[in-house]
Amino acid sequence: MTTTYGQGPVAQLARQVGLEVLGPAARIAESQRAVPEEVWNVLFETGLTMPIDEQYGGGGVPDSLEQMEIAENLAYGDPGIAVAALSNAAAPLLIGRVGDASQREALSLLARDVEARSSVALFEGYGRSPSEYETSFTPIDNGLWRIVGQKLVVPFASEANPLLVVGISKSDGTLKAAVLDAHADGIETKLNTRALALDAMPTFTMHLDAAVASENLLGGVEADADELASGIAHYRLLLAAVMVGTAQRANDYASQYATERVAFGRPIAAFQGISFLLAEAQIRIESARLSIREAAFWLKGSLAFQQEVTRIVNYAGVVATQSTRDAVQVLGGHGFIADHPVELWYRSAAALSTFDFDPLYSNFEPAL
Amino acid sequence: MKKSYYVSDALHEYGETVREWSVAEVRPYARQADNLHAPPENWREIMDTCPVPLVDFYDNPALPIPQFEEGPWVRKLVTVENLLYGDCWPCAVVPQVSAGYLLLDRMGTQAQRDRWSGILQSTEAKTALGFTEPGCGSDTSMIATAASRHGDTWVLNGTKMFCSAGAFADFVIVFATIDKALGAKGIRAFLVPKGTPGLIVAKANESKLGLRGAITSELVFQNCSLPLDHMLGWGIEDEPPSSNDNRIKGRAGGLSVLSNNRPMVSAMAVGIAQAALDVASALLTERHSEFSTQRWSAIVVELESMNATLVRARRLNFYAQLLADKGVKNVTESSMAKAYGPPTCERVVRRSMQLIGPDGISTEHLLEKWYRDIKVYDIFEGTGQIQRTLVARALVGELAQ
Repeated sequence: MTTTYGQGPVAQLARQVGLEVLGPAARIAESQRAVPEEVWNVLFETGLTMPIDEQYGGGGVPDSLEQMEIAENLAYGDPGIAVAALSNAAAPLLIGRVGDASQREALSLLARDVEARSSVALFEGYGRSPSEYETSFTPIDNGLWRIVGQKLVVPFASEANPLLVVGISKSDGTLKAAVLDAHADGIETKLNTRALALDAMPTFTMHLDAAVASENLLGGVEADADELASGIAHYRLLLAAVMVGTAQRANDYASQYATERVAFGRPIAAFQGISFLLAEAQIRIESARLSIREAAFWLKGSLAFQQEVTRIVNYAGVVATQSTRDAVQVLGGHGFIADHPVELWYRSAAALSTFDFDPLYSNFEPAL
Repeated sequence: MKKSYYVSDALHEYGETVREWSVAEVRPYARQADNLHAPPENWREIMDTCPVPLVDFYDNPALPIPQFEEGPWVRKLVTVENLLYGDCWPCAVVPQVSAGYLLLDRMGTQAQRDRWSGILQSTEAKTALGFTEPGCGSDTSMIATAASRHGDTWVLNGTKMFCSAGAFADFVIVFATIDKALGAKGIRAFLVPKGTPGLIVAKANESKLGLRGAITSELVFQNCSLPLDHMLGWGIEDEPPSSNDNRIKGRAGGLSVLSNNRPMVSAMAVGIAQAALDVASALLTERHSEFSTQRWSAIVVELESMNATLVRARRLNFYAQLLADKGVKNVTESSMAKAYGPPTCERVVRRSMQLIGPDGISTEHLLEKWYRDIKVYDIFEGTGQIQRTLVARALVGELAQ
């Protein structure tokens, strides 16, 4: 374990892009339901969020820990745009690990075209983790596979190329993924209405009852299911890192505010009612960050590891929702108005906490 | 058997009627109010459909006023929780919910009450409160808006933020200092009628996280000149002493009014959280076959646990207001109620949204709106931190900071 997490040049670049590019574009991205073109350009040029091998025209694939640093630091600027950018990179993440030669070749489009989008239809809600997904892959005649299921919050579904869907093989119970054409028969995608937050990324609800050729299966019929599971864990951890970055920014912002705002004769940070709130948030954040780091180091495909990832993701959700609400609280009435960004983080953290939520991995606790 | 431990059957049933009406008639306008950043334009028509008068809040002269054995504070608690179960936008249109009205009633002289409270009997009237300033919120002794005496007038100068209905209120009760050197003791309340020269609406409406049905304004007072008798309590010394005169001057008066309003604020949060929980429970029940058996069992326990939490919050609210109705000092109990309810209600709304999953944050449901609305209840009318300080002071005195 190193002590330099977050301090290397990649993390520093991501922090700078987060603060100088993503942050200022946060409100416009939300209102337009799209990441502004100039922001995509910066992300594209820096190569921060498109992990594609040089062989396919990409800028290379950062190691998994570096990718967590990138996710956290972009989210430090704006969680909404960070989620959009990282979700756009989920397909290359899985294809790079599991895809066959021709599927990898298709990545070159993403590597050279800033306007190209990709997507993985992953989450199903209902607390399901990947091994429990009900989207099914069944071999039928003529080398075809029938895919049936429903996927929620699918990013960029209408324009994504490639668009992957993840499910469970009916023949051997392992994880499978397939490359889909969003406009093919049997695939219905419906643009979701606006949400509490994260509107910079258009999301879709997808209903599938479609047949695909076996060459569309990611990595073919005999694909390495463990490697796929490990890639999915990687993406889920990236979203956890976004939650940690959001929590960290909110806590830093509230801490700064608490040193400036005066009440009862001194800065409010001088009162333990405020400073302990901030300190406890920081302790939780550090703990969540360490768990993400460790999991990103091990990245495995086992069932036990998936459960560990579920635990980490859900803890990150607890940390982010609590830290952002505390940040609003520290700012008081000023936290409740859009003049300050904490209300945006309050919404973003809660929104993201629902994506991969499992009621078995956190509890309702009254505040008192 | 009696239906509720805290209230008579008559009041309980009254509350149920308000709740059913609010779900049927108020809730359908929730999204519109949120999008418009204002109450629905036809709010009066909507309010007039209530089959019972919202006693103390929105009286309909066409309907007989119900009589309850409970006092006004408990009665208001029942009304307000059930009203907000539909949605919170009516808070922006019911006149007497405003602290401005309470302040006039509590701090004004008989002559002042006679003069202005008539306006308030009208369902058209609005009052606003100017307490918070850009540089001060929780610490009201820092109020910098100045009132200086010039002959027969007071002249106000300063800025007030977060004034509910400030942009269009018929009058604003403004707290200002007559002598900064006196600190908290120098603070007085002034009644500023709409249209007074020097009363400037600097920002008609803030862009807020939630509670958007209410207009929240920033007001600037620039050499705003008022007759001397616009200071609440002015000339009170001339009135014959009264044994039941409990009027309080200055900042203490303002704070004491806020104190009685605190369980009400908690009840508003409880109303919203109960609505979120019930909406989520219904959606989850509809979809329960999609959950694994183990998860569904966990969810059932969670829903019960959240309901029980809201019951606990409600108990504290009722207890504090029962004391108020009996004329017993309830500052600590009011603070306990407000410290307990809002932050926990916030968690109930959040959890309700999470249990549903990604669909829980969609604007197709009201949960996401209520999660935005609910946050302010732990902030305004005394933050959770201030309430803790007040409870601690009851235990250890002024050592608590």
